[in-house]
Amino acid sequence: MSPRRVTALIRRIVAQFRRDRRTLALIFVVPIAISALLGWVLRDQQTTPVRLGIVNDGGAAGARIAQAIIATRAESSILPLPVDVPASTITDAEARSALRDDRLDVVLVIPSDVVAGLASATGPHLVVMTQGANPPTEGGQVAQVRQVLASALASAVPGAVAAPVIEHQTVFGAANQDPFDALSPFFIGFFVYFLVFILTGISFLRERVGGTLERLLATPVTKGEIVLGYTLGFGIFATLQVIVLLAFTLMRVDVPAIGPLGAFSIGLAVPSAGNPLLAFVVALLLAIGAVSLGIFISTFARTEFQILQFIPIVIVPQGLLSGIFWRIETLPGPLQPIARALPLTYAADGLREIMIQGRGLAASGVQLDLAVLVAIAALFVVLAAGTIRREVA
Amino acid sequence: MRDARMTQTSAPLRPSRAAPAAVSAAGAAAHASATPALEGRGLVKTYGSIRAVDGVDIALPPGRIYGLLGPNGAGKTTLIRLLVGLARPTSGEAYVLGRRVPSREMLASIGYMTQADGIYPELSVWENIRFFAALYGNFDRERLMDALRIVELDGRAGTPVLQLSGGMRRRLSLACALVHRPPVVVLDEPTVGIDPALRVQFWRHFRSLSAEGATLLVSSHVMDEADRCDELLFIRGGKVIARGSGEELRRRAGTADLEEAFLRFSGADVGATA
Repeated sequence: MSPRRVTALIRRIVAQFRRDRRTLALIFVVPIAISALLGWVLRDQQTTPVRLGIVNDGGAAGARIAQAIIATRAESSILPLPVDVPASTITDAEARSALRDDRLDVVLVIPSDVVAGLASATGPHLVVMTQGANPPTEGGQVAQVRQVLASALASAVPGAVAAPVIEHQTVFGAANQDPFDALSPFFIGFFVYFLVFILTGISFLRERVGGTLERLLATPVTKGEIVLGYTLGFGIFATLQVIVLLAFTLMRVDVPAIGPLGAFSIGLAVPSAGNPLLAFVVALLLAIGAVSLGIFISTFARTEFQILQFIPIVIVPQGLLSGIFWRIETLPGPLQPIARALPLTYAADGLREIMIQGRGLAASGVQLDLAVLVAIAALFVVLAAGTIRREVA
Repeated sequence: MRDARMTQTSAPLRPSRAAPAAVSAAGAAAHASATPALEGRGLVKTYGSIRAVDGVDIALPPGRIYGLLGPNGAGKTTLIRLLVGLARPTSGEAYVLGRRVPSREMLASIGYMTQADGIYPELSVWENIRFFAALYGNFDRERLMDALRIVELDGRAGTPVLQLSGGMRRRLSLACALVHRPPVVVLDEPTVGIDPALRVQFWRHFRSLSAEGATLLVSSHVMDEADRCDELLFIRGGKVIARGSGEELRRRAGTADLEEAFLRFSGADVGATA
């Protein structure tokens, strides 16, 4: 392994990118533009104020939290967040019937063990109930309630409190995961994977077709150096892309006009959830796998157009099976092992755990995701090196 | 048969021609005059039922220009790739400067110009040559500029390849193949699609490389280039059907031009496929 040759490959890839303004735009502008569009679309769905009910099972501590929420009634007119905060708490039965009859949108249940939860490192465990008839809309509503809850907790409980774990229950239908919760980490992973795959695939295809690969292989460069050079070269751009995307998402978090954006970024409610650096590592591992996948796939294409044909074959099914749109456990039996073999599944899961659930390296789920991503990236590196036809290593 | 020209051109080899990385192997090998620059023993390469190279035994002593001539599909490119170790023969052995190939280290002693230009169109002239040079070794700026000066592209170092004419790209491709000053230079149809003036320029350059001790193997299907070579190898149907200087081959075939000589030799070879 010669650092000089690897550096030469990296420099060359960077120089090629610098010349190719449109591709640079594709990497950085497109993900932001699409995320912004998504945020806009979701924001404009939120037209009516969310009618909130509070059920207090938590005794005095619960009452204090409930009072804090009710106290935001005065501020709610200032807050752009349209949550119709109730004047007092109600019983569980009243809440359920009000949800069924469409008199309330969201009910917040403060559980009996809220005191213990406030003291613990994992944060209080709260239950949010919705009707369950329109998951996307209700997801947005829950996000808005989460905002109110966050500010109420901050004022009701002295000292730092870990972000609450919110369990979303529904009156009708199965308990539903908040769809927006899952979307923003997924989009980060998906964009990185998709764009890095396409760019590497096309770039390496050009090497194969344009005769430069043949010439490369007539030099003393090793296959390992080529794959490493590509991985690092494209890794630079993947890194920048992930940083820009994460910064974009987190910047939205810090915008004080929370209301209109509530549906766009669920990270709003949990600004401290998870280490962005860890999320960055997950996205980067995914990108490294995508570089090698691009090199590998380029063997099976003769033109750039044929690389694009791999999008519905390689990328779209990964997105559909990644557990974001349907949880893996709910997929048809034969599809489950496939879903569990795809890198995007683990990246999306890891990003969700880190960004939404605020888990760290200590969580076994995050460890598994990272380990699988490393293993898949390593496998693709070997596969990619194997597709570079050469008589000498 | 390689008499007259041989004595003319076999001036003392200059090992300084070799890239630093290759000096130990190449320089030593070149000094032993018995060691051929390129050698094939019983080379056979089959692709399925097609025998692209069908039993080639050649040894090419260093310091000369060899022309590999034959029609399209005769097996020229495959033979070249076998000789320099870019492809593995189905059977037989290939040696570069006495070292068995395929060998990654020996690639440092070889300058290989493919039929395609094999340069990066988005990059500038300078970035291209810097990239390929770095794959071969640690060369300073002056060395790279020298390589560009030889092909008269030193004034265009900053120009993106996209803005170059076809001939200029071909010149850059040649510079990239020679930047490490390899003792063995293999050029696959280097003059295809270039204008006569540039062709003359290329051949002048090949001649000066040879004078400095490099061994050149140049493939072509244009017979009028053949007389510029010290020695010719006629190839057809994956076999070397004749070898010798242009003058000698014409004399042996009893014809006035090489094209007729080639046809005469191919006719004589019954096994050759049309």
